[in-house]
Amino acid sequence: MEKSLVDLDNGTTCSSWNYSGQRLAAGSVDGFLSIFDSRDPAASSSFTCTSKSRSYLAQLACLCPLLNARDREEAEGEVHETGIVKVVWTPPEFGDSVACVCADGTLSLWEEVVEGTNSIPNLHPFSRHSRNYLGNTQPLQWKLCKSFKSNSSQVLDVQFGVSLSGLKMVAAYSDGHIRVYELLDPLELKNWQLQVWEFDQAHQRWLPVAELALPDNKGDQVYSVAWAPNIGRPYEVIAVATHKGIALWHLGLIPDTDGRLSVEQVAVLSGHRGEVWQMEWDMSGMTLATTGSDGKVRLWQSNLNGVWHEQAAFEPTT
Amino acid sequence: MPVVAPLSGDTSSSGSIVPFSPEVSNHSVVYPLRHGLKPPIARLSISWSRGNTLRVSVLRKSFDDGEAGGKVVEVRLGNGDAEISDAQWRRIAYGSVTPFALLQNRRSSISSLSKMSISPPHYHVNWWEYVMEYSKDIGSLLGNPKSPSGTVIEDRREVVKTVEEPTCSKAAWELMEIFYADKQSQPWLPERLVDWLTDYDCLLSSTQTTVHSKLVGFQKELASLQLIEDDPKYWEVMSSALAIGWLELAVKMLRLHGSYELDQLGNRETENGLVEAVAVLISNLPRMRLELAEGKLGECYKAKPDFMKAWEKWRVQITKLDSSAFWVHCDHLQTREGLKNMLQIMLGSTNSLSAATCHWVELYVSHLLYIRPFTVGLESMYSLAQKCMQLKPMSGAHKLIGLMVGILGENTEVVLAELSRSFGPWMVAHAIELLTAGSDQAEVLLHEERDNLGEISIAELHRLVYAQLLASHVLTWQIAPVYLISCMKQGLGLLEILLYKQPVQHNEMLLKNIEICRLYDLDSVNSNIKKIAGVYHWKHGRKGAGVFWLQQARDEVRLNRIAKHLFDSVGKSISDESFKQWEGLIELLGSESKTAGGLEFLHKYRDFKKSLKQVHTGKTTDAARQAAELLISLMKNPSTPQQFWLPLLYDSLKLLNWQERPLLSVSQTNLLLNKLQELSMARLRPDFVEVDLPPQALNSVRLALATNLGRVVGRHRSPSVCRTETCPHSFPSKHGLAKRRISFSVVEDFKSVYLLYICLIPAYVSENPDDMRESCTGDFCCV
Repeated sequence: MEKSLVDLDNGTTCSSWNYSGQRLAAGSVDGFLSIFDSRDPAASSSFTCTSKSRSYLAQLACLCPLLNARDREEAEGEVHETGIVKVVWTPPEFGDSVACVCADGTLSLWEEVVEGTNSIPNLHPFSRHSRNYLGNTQPLQWKLCKSFKSNSSQVLDVQFGVSLSGLKMVAAYSDGHIRVYELLDPLELKNWQLQVWEFDQAHQRWLPVAELALPDNKGDQVYSVAWAPNIGRPYEVIAVATHKGIALWHLGLIPDTDGRLSVEQVAVLSGHRGEVWQMEWDMSGMTLATTGSDGKVRLWQSNLNGVWHEQAAFEPTT
Repeated sequence: MPVVAPLSGDTSSSGSIVPFSPEVSNHSVVYPLRHGLKPPIARLSISWSRGNTLRVSVLRKSFDDGEAGGKVVEVRLGNGDAEISDAQWRRIAYGSVTPFALLQNRRSSISSLSKMSISPPHYHVNWWEYVMEYSKDIGSLLGNPKSPSGTVIEDRREVVKTVEEPTCSKAAWELMEIFYADKQSQPWLPERLVDWLTDYDCLLSSTQTTVHSKLVGFQKELASLQLIEDDPKYWEVMSSALAIGWLELAVKMLRLHGSYELDQLGNRETENGLVEAVAVLISNLPRMRLELAEGKLGECYKAKPDFMKAWEKWRVQITKLDSSAFWVHCDHLQTREGLKNMLQIMLGSTNSLSAATCHWVELYVSHLLYIRPFTVGLESMYSLAQKCMQLKPMSGAHKLIGLMVGILGENTEVVLAELSRSFGPWMVAHAIELLTAGSDQAEVLLHEERDNLGEISIAELHRLVYAQLLASHVLTWQIAPVYLISCMKQGLGLLEILLYKQPVQHNEMLLKNIEICRLYDLDSVNSNIKKIAGVYHWKHGRKGAGVFWLQQARDEVRLNRIAKHLFDSVGKSISDESFKQWEGLIELLGSESKTAGGLEFLHKYRDFKKSLKQVHTGKTTDAARQAAELLISLMKNPSTPQQFWLPLLYDSLKLLNWQERPLLSVSQTNLLLNKLQELSMARLRPDFVEVDLPPQALNSVRLALATNLGRVVGRHRSPSVCRTETCPHSFPSKHGLAKRRISFSVVEDFKSVYLLYICLIPAYVSENPDDMRESCTGDFCCV
């Protein structure tokens, strides 16, 4: 009943599909970023690796583009390769690009462009297996366009969001801060501005509008959070996973006089033993897929009376 | 929000379906997900793809063992109907679009008419006819209506024709049509059920013995039987066929009786007479129905009184035969008992009917035929069904039976649950039209908005679920919009997400998407798709296509950025090749997007640059004059960015120094000088953007302008040069040539030029323009 789509290389640590499910980006423990494409986009049946780039070498090239070959080799020896722990695609309005969170806490942005359109020089000698999947005369390449590095704290997670003013990137740092960056030029992923404020323009700060925890459960470690796409419901649905299970919350859309939103916990789904790794809503927000350290994939749905239950589970086997 | 869809794998390969776990159970079924990797597995990661497709990345721990590091497997949540192949299912999906859309159109035009307070009942009269038309259209997609079991065929010994098995979907659809849509046939409901069982009894054989399966079994033995009437099975299956109304079959089998053999006729005359009499009685069974298909036995009566009369008469005939003296002369025991039993069946003996039938539905149908042919109203039909179920408990659940019980019990929820559990989203989405036509109560139940479902109705929910299933496949997603736009509340929201997730790389697909957006007025996602396409092409080196799509998207922010990129080439000498490319882009940018700032400038600049190129090659004064006009128009235009003033002028040095004659008038020259002055003021500001030009650029331009002015003034002996004076101050010079008193002309009309003029031409003493040229050595100073 299952169909195999992609064979991943040894050492792959994370993977992510793009908006249309036609490209897969995978990161590996030795710092390679691989891109997989389907030869026949209509069938999207088998995917093959079309690009493989090594992140730390590109970063090196980005930092010191003028090194000659020997210096570069020396520098390579000094820069420790670092694994990629998470890959996230940008929204498609900003091109074919991904953000990689690395094990050493750096965050790098990569994009696929035709050679020469990116102004970072001397990158291609490093890109060892770059191939143009469309067969164009101009070769396409994955290039590093920005690297965020901080000595004091590490990037743990990253997400993108499109707002009226443009693309925002929210990065979670190990020092407990969330930093919101805004892209300055929608055609270039190089220039980001760190935003000090957002959301509440009048006060120039973030304001909490709702708290998704029952009084007893405050302080529980949250493993994962997932917002359901809202195709027209008068409330948002949010899944919050803790060690007590997956809580489903309804969040009102209209703030009260204090600016707070009404919240209601509509279900607690238990089934996963241990940590919940990931939760994903389907396109209509009707089915929640989850996976966790118990090694199973579970699907959750609600019945006509609004009662949530586990609809099916999958257990990987050889 | 129940999706209540059972799961299936890649049905294109095997069509295998994972059995469905009933909703009520607390523990869902765990399905294996085969990946073929060597354990241990370190991590799973999940991602929803199109529609109901889930992709799972299975990652191994990193080992240096040469094995694959991981695998991505795809699981499709199925359409719920295992008996229909993928290709067949797609054919049904495509075929049902038109009937569905037509019905929706009719519904909306009726509701808009009823808003105009035209009496609704009049339209309700027509409504079920529309639903019936829809039902026929959909039903015809589900398979061959030809019944396999009832047909009597030519081969004398072939009782049951083996034709292509009908599908349960077809059977379910017809059942709903009978009860919900076909209002015209309501008085003949029992007969319609008899027909239904004739067509679909074979389907019930999957879970238990039926008359059909008995017949099939007997058929196999038939060939080896010598004296058929000696075999008790012969009489048994014949009674069964008769009991459930397969009259043709019963008659045909009767005529296989040995007494019909020519050599036997003499000895068994009475026996044969009895057999034939029963056959005739069977053939004359009065039936309350509109018509009978050709070759079908029985007498049709449309009206109840006529039928009752005939029915009584027929029963009298049976009773007469039953009590006749001929039986004594019938020596063949099996024949006598068999025929007598058949008479009992026709007389409606409960025991005989019960013995002759296998499934409770068969018993039910036999009751409707021989005991209660006037049973009307669902309530009495349901109680009869319950009685039959008690008499013949089922050995296993069957999806058609579940549905039938729901229908007879008038329980819309049960019907819906059975449909979605056993037949999948396609069936539910389409059957709801039948259900709502069935009763007002069902209409309210299915179209009422519910808080639990996010303020949508059950009907809308099931359309959304079906649309999502359609979205799962590249060959069916295009028909999802038809269903989504019929969802008032959440359909468009889902459609927007669906369209946004379609890939833009392929023009055909892109155009299709845009067409759908246009059709349903989805402006925002329309422009988003174009934006995505624009950026995709731009970044992948197809600049023209990129600009085109961004323009289509009216994405001024990005177009402006592109215009800014193009600015970088302003004032620089570029190769013919890249100029052409650059020119093409400006052409594209300028064609529509007038509002994009800076584009007007680029457009003008393109014309100017072109003209300048001609000057460089052709050297005609006319071309140069034209270029100069364009330069002035560029410099006059407020949209020309200040940072390009100097590059433009520097680029035009040749024009300013045109040998043949000065190309710019006094006022034009003064305009340019003014601009230079403005520029030197602007440079003092911190935000001024310096342009990359040779250091002597400014000086060269100033000199050229001054020279030009001098030449024009000299040439025209302009009356505006009213006096020549000597400056009372001395001006320092870098080269030490100044520090002397100089003379200058005052051009009164152009006060602002005044100072520049004197600065530029320190040695100007003569009114002779030729002298002036010589004296302008470039040695000047600024005020």
